[in-house]
Amino acid sequence: MGIRAEHLSKSFESRKVLDDISFEIKDGEFVTLLAPTGEGKTTLLRILAGIERPDHGRVYYNDEDVTDWPVQKRQIAMVFQWFVNYPSMTVFENMATPLEALRPKPSKNEIAQRVQNMAQLLKIDGLMQQFPSQISGGQQQRLAIARALVKNSDFIFLDEPLTNLDYKLQEELRVELKNIFARKEHGAVVFATPQPIEALTLSTSVGFLNGGKLLQFGPMQEVYHRPAFMEVAAYFSHPSMNIFEVRKVMENGHLWLKASDQLKLRVNRFREMLHADAYMVGIRAHRLVTVPENEMIPVTGTVVLREVVGSDTELHLDHQGVPLVALLEGVEEYRIGDSVTVYLHPDRFFIFDKASHRLLARAEDRRNGT
Amino acid sequence: MATIELKKISHSYQMERCGELPENSRLDAQFVIRDLDLTWEKGSANALLGPSGCGKTTILNMISGLLKPTAGHILYDGRDVTDEPPEKRHIAQVFQFPVVYDTISVYRNLAFPLKNAGVPKADIKRKVQQVAEILDLTHVLEKSAGRISQAEKQKVSLGRGIIREDTVAILFDEPLTVIDPKEKYVLRRKIREVQKELAITTIYVTHDQHEALTFADQVTVMANGRVVQTGTPAELHSEPASPFIGYFIGSPGMNLLDCTLEDGGLSCGDFMMPLSPKLRKAISAHGPAFKLGLRPEFVQVSLEAKPGFTPWTVSLMENVGVHLILTLSSNGIKIKSRIPTQERVSAGGRVWVGFPEAHVKIFKDETRVY
Repeated sequence: MGIRAEHLSKSFESRKVLDDISFEIKDGEFVTLLAPTGEGKTTLLRILAGIERPDHGRVYYNDEDVTDWPVQKRQIAMVFQWFVNYPSMTVFENMATPLEALRPKPSKNEIAQRVQNMAQLLKIDGLMQQFPSQISGGQQQRLAIARALVKNSDFIFLDEPLTNLDYKLQEELRVELKNIFARKEHGAVVFATPQPIEALTLSTSVGFLNGGKLLQFGPMQEVYHRPAFMEVAAYFSHPSMNIFEVRKVMENGHLWLKASDQLKLRVNRFREMLHADAYMVGIRAHRLVTVPENEMIPVTGTVVLREVVGSDTELHLDHQGVPLVALLEGVEEYRIGDSVTVYLHPDRFFIFDKASHRLLARAEDRRNGT
Repeated sequence: MATIELKKISHSYQMERCGELPENSRLDAQFVIRDLDLTWEKGSANALLGPSGCGKTTILNMISGLLKPTAGHILYDGRDVTDEPPEKRHIAQVFQFPVVYDTISVYRNLAFPLKNAGVPKADIKRKVQQVAEILDLTHVLEKSAGRISQAEKQKVSLGRGIIREDTVAILFDEPLTVIDPKEKYVLRRKIREVQKELAITTIYVTHDQHEALTFADQVTVMANGRVVQTGTPAELHSEPASPFIGYFIGSPGMNLLDCTLEDGGLSCGDFMMPLSPKLRKAISAHGPAFKLGLRPEFVQVSLEAKPGFTPWTVSLMENVGVHLILTLSSNGIKIKSRIPTQERVSAGGRVWVGFPEAHVKIFKDETRVY
């Protein structure tokens, strides 16, 4: 059981949107296709669902080649970014329609029961007799999701269903979606999103698209903790990971990766694998702190912006031309132009190859002194 | 630049202007703004935050002179401008969709307000170059404004406002809505930088908490035509004036529990929070029904029983990378808690929960009493 994609490629005019993409989704998985806008995730989702045809490659559902099947034959459900509901039908009728199309057709009672259950799950059971134009945007998207789920398809495809909702609604619906899909007994969910936080909270596996290639596909925790490429690391972080260039130098009998006199990391333990003169180093924003613990490395910078995100503060600093961002807990006030010292942990960084952008090492796998 | 004041402003789209509002019309539901008093100091960065329909845009239109309030007065540096037309007010606006003259160059777009005011050519040239420098537009000055990015167009709109010396204030109305996600950070940073450097009186209108709290030193939160709270981002987060602010600001929002004051403390469902004499004294006159508010980051979670802690079930666990967000339930009551990712809790498991009094807020109806 599951979905398999083999060597999928797709071009629009001369632009290659998807380039030789293969992966496998197992039964029971919730997969997010994560990428910034314009990297082909919607196209890939549409090809998997059968709305779009690939130029090359095959799609299998449960080991059956469905590449040439029309979408109607596939018995899938789809939710779009711009919620699509029938404007002339009530909320109840919108949800009942997919059930009436089932063969054999369920009884009237069964349809009413299933619609009621789904409406309760998505908290729209109080709106059954309203028309889509009479309910809010958040409720309309709930309705679109309910309509997709009511027929209990094996495979469900969602294309950025939360993007057009405001942040409190996103926060609430994210939790509900997690609960709803946890009840699903078989099949798979594929969810396209530009938001790292949705990939983190919802998925069992993540695929990251960049320049038409699937740069990495694997269990969510694995992709987050061992991003195979710099691009994956930079994007699949919340906020974006600090990545800067360093030179390899010997100073005071130690081997360092050095960006400045302050911003340098001791890497004796990786001596045998570092053959180049320059590398890229990545540090997650929450690893830069303002209250130091033992052995932490102080780095001083000038505040260029302080952003408040939810209940946290993203402090953007300029450290001798190196842009750094620290994620601090709580809503903190900092003035632009102020000088601030942040501290980094000697064992919390990633080393990437400068040319290929591949992950070479995670500092925490070999602690200093070992 | 000037200080802008709104004095006792009320507005109904159904009523003609009258100096004083008749006493009997005060409670009329047709009023979109009621008895509003607000001051934006000269050179300060301010935001108006609220859901759509709360009256934000009505206020902007009153400040710029497009709309005359039914009652009340608008003052610039103490001078009453309520009856002055928009062209005499010297307010610059940056809208959701960039407004530039597409067919002429960026240079001529920026020069336009000065040319209209009869400024000598040599002075225009000097000013345009100066403003282009500040806004990083020097490299596109000769380009046609139709051929630059949306973010650059917004900078041109801003530039037309700051190029005149008699500009009283700059109003932003959701200026980042149509900006590509990759460019948002750059533009946000630029707007903030320019505001501070030139000490421009700014009012930034948005429904997005992140935008408001990032841009402004002083944020006014509105709901249903009224001001709910004005304060710094940190004040809104740590000292919310109402349960609405507690939930609306911060992610996840503040936990709010219905509770009753009893001899043993505050009774919330099946658990009792003991009270210090100080807290009891502060709230007892308002009693006995209250709402207890506690932000998820201050909910104490322990794997073992502790004095004063009560048992809860972990009904959902969300890993957002930087920390875990737990949904905890106890006899139908649900709260959220935010804890470090290394904590060994599991979904379905039992934890003990404490409500530290130092971080607890107590609300009576819509007002905070502690």
